[in-house]
Amino acid sequence: MAAVRDKRMTLKEAVSKYVNDGDTVYYGGFQIHVPMALTHEIIRQKKKNLNIINASTDVGGLDLLVAAGCVDEMHLAWAMNWYVKAPYAIRRAFQSGQLKRFDLSNFGATSALIAGFLGIPFIPVRGNIGTDMIKHNTTDAKVIEDPFTGSKITVVRAWRADVAIIHAQKVDRLGNVVTWGTRGVTDEFGTLGTKRGVIVTAEEVIEPEEVRSDPDRTLVPYFKTLAVVHCPWGAHPSACRGYYGLDIRFSQYQGKYERSTELLPIFMNDWIYGCEDHAAYIKKYISKFGQQGLDRLKPVLGFEPKMKVDYGYHDPAVWKGVPQYTDEHIKA
Amino acid sequence: MASNFKLTELMVVRCAKEINDGEVVFAGVGLPLVVVGFAMITHAQNMILFTEGGSIRATAPPGLAITVDDPALFCKGDATFGMLATMAALQRGEVDVAFIGGAQIDKYGNINSTGVGDWSKPESFTYFAGSGGANDMATSGKRVLAIMPQDPKKFVEKVDYLTTPGYLDGPGTRKKLGMIGGGPSVVVSTMGVYKFDESTREMYLAEYFPGQTVDKVRANCSFDLNVASNVKETEPPTEQELTILRGIDPTGFYLG
Repeated sequence: MAAVRDKRMTLKEAVSKYVNDGDTVYYGGFQIHVPMALTHEIIRQKKKNLNIINASTDVGGLDLLVAAGCVDEMHLAWAMNWYVKAPYAIRRAFQSGQLKRFDLSNFGATSALIAGFLGIPFIPVRGNIGTDMIKHNTTDAKVIEDPFTGSKITVVRAWRADVAIIHAQKVDRLGNVVTWGTRGVTDEFGTLGTKRGVIVTAEEVIEPEEVRSDPDRTLVPYFKTLAVVHCPWGAHPSACRGYYGLDIRFSQYQGKYERSTELLPIFMNDWIYGCEDHAAYIKKYISKFGQQGLDRLKPVLGFEPKMKVDYGYHDPAVWKGVPQYTDEHIKA
Repeated sequence: MASNFKLTELMVVRCAKEINDGEVVFAGVGLPLVVVGFAMITHAQNMILFTEGGSIRATAPPGLAITVDDPALFCKGDATFGMLATMAALQRGEVDVAFIGGAQIDKYGNINSTGVGDWSKPESFTYFAGSGGANDMATSGKRVLAIMPQDPKKFVEKVDYLTTPGYLDGPGTRKKLGMIGGGPSVVVSTMGVYKFDESTREMYLAEYFPGQTVDKVRANCSFDLNVASNVKETEPPTEQELTILRGIDPTGFYLG
């Protein structure tokens, strides 16, 4: 449990302090809020032998991590750069034997994360039975007899990461993570199920009083958070709800580099190793594709909730001195 | 009837007709997202859309949803959940139509979206993305609707990797394995429309697209193709349908 304290630090400090070689890492986001700034920093720091757990991811972040030699194993349901329709680096690493893949369905993966979140060893799930996933991934899934009915059912083992990396819209210095417009998809389970805790990058760092004024939006409570990194554009080229949309053109641009072992190092040198931090990456983006490139990603705003809510509190102190309600039927 | 349309456009319009108004449709990534958007503003205005990203909505998204966790799906949606809530509804048997794509399909409607080659010999295996939610949808949805391009490498005798169950090795197997969903009902390809025989559970050609013939379809299918005795040509889309459809995907991200 991480104590109540100021957890703000740089991207560099967060990764160097809290991601160890050999860690099992929950990779946050889905097809939005992908932790790309953290992905790049893990690559810069040449972390090794990571074991990635995740349900689905779409902007090639895992391709980059794998191509950089950071990953030994992936346990997940779906990974590719959707904007070039292929997981080129993952494909090559599997073929060469550098990467081991452990495939489940999306809800198989989600259920494994839920079992980790619940602190139980395994959980039944309807899918996966009858397929090659069950045949090839006995590490994560087995078919057993339902002890109550005797019928066949798939069970998946619990996945618990050592550390989770996620991106969110807002966080306070204590580590309360705030999201809206997507409930994290599987992040709520992947983060809370971690053994050590969560590294979060966020568009804005806000005051704890702001979070506490609307705690329904808290995705990760502070006690699971290890590091808070203020990192605008930290999910780019994936989207961050209310801040920027998916950068399709950049994902396609990156994807064209992913296609070959000769080209990809050029991208990695220019956009990752050659950038000191994420601010430098964004600066490079502006110098190459112009401010209009970033401006194009700005969402149409004006979708504020129309429903006004009030977390009205009733103080039981009002009962002080108020005599018991009574009448003739219940009088002793 | 329009004469100038792309095959993907015909696929989408034809596929949308398989969705009945009022149904709960769980849509996977890719063309299914375009189809449901189209259905929700044409004949299926009471359809309920579920996605893996956790969106539940009774109205068409304001623009093209490119992924199943696309912000468009959560814009003026009815509920923002995560994967748990929508997938749980699948497991409870509340989803009418499981709507998916894929890379390979066999005559029993088994689908591969993991990769081609021999998985046990990694050097020979070309990975795609993996199951995603397709397996969950096809296991538990009341019926399965699939949309995918057709060529002999995609319509195969045996899928290289069985990611998503169709009727597996034939009648009865789904039930034996405890699957609550009914299995594949319709496949729409770039060449025609397929249905499944009630007793053999094998796929058969029910319609061929304008410009195709049964022989051309057969030449693009690697298994021995069954053909309905009343096989017919699919009606082309109307100009009005195309206008609506092109409005959903104005950049041609999915329609080309």
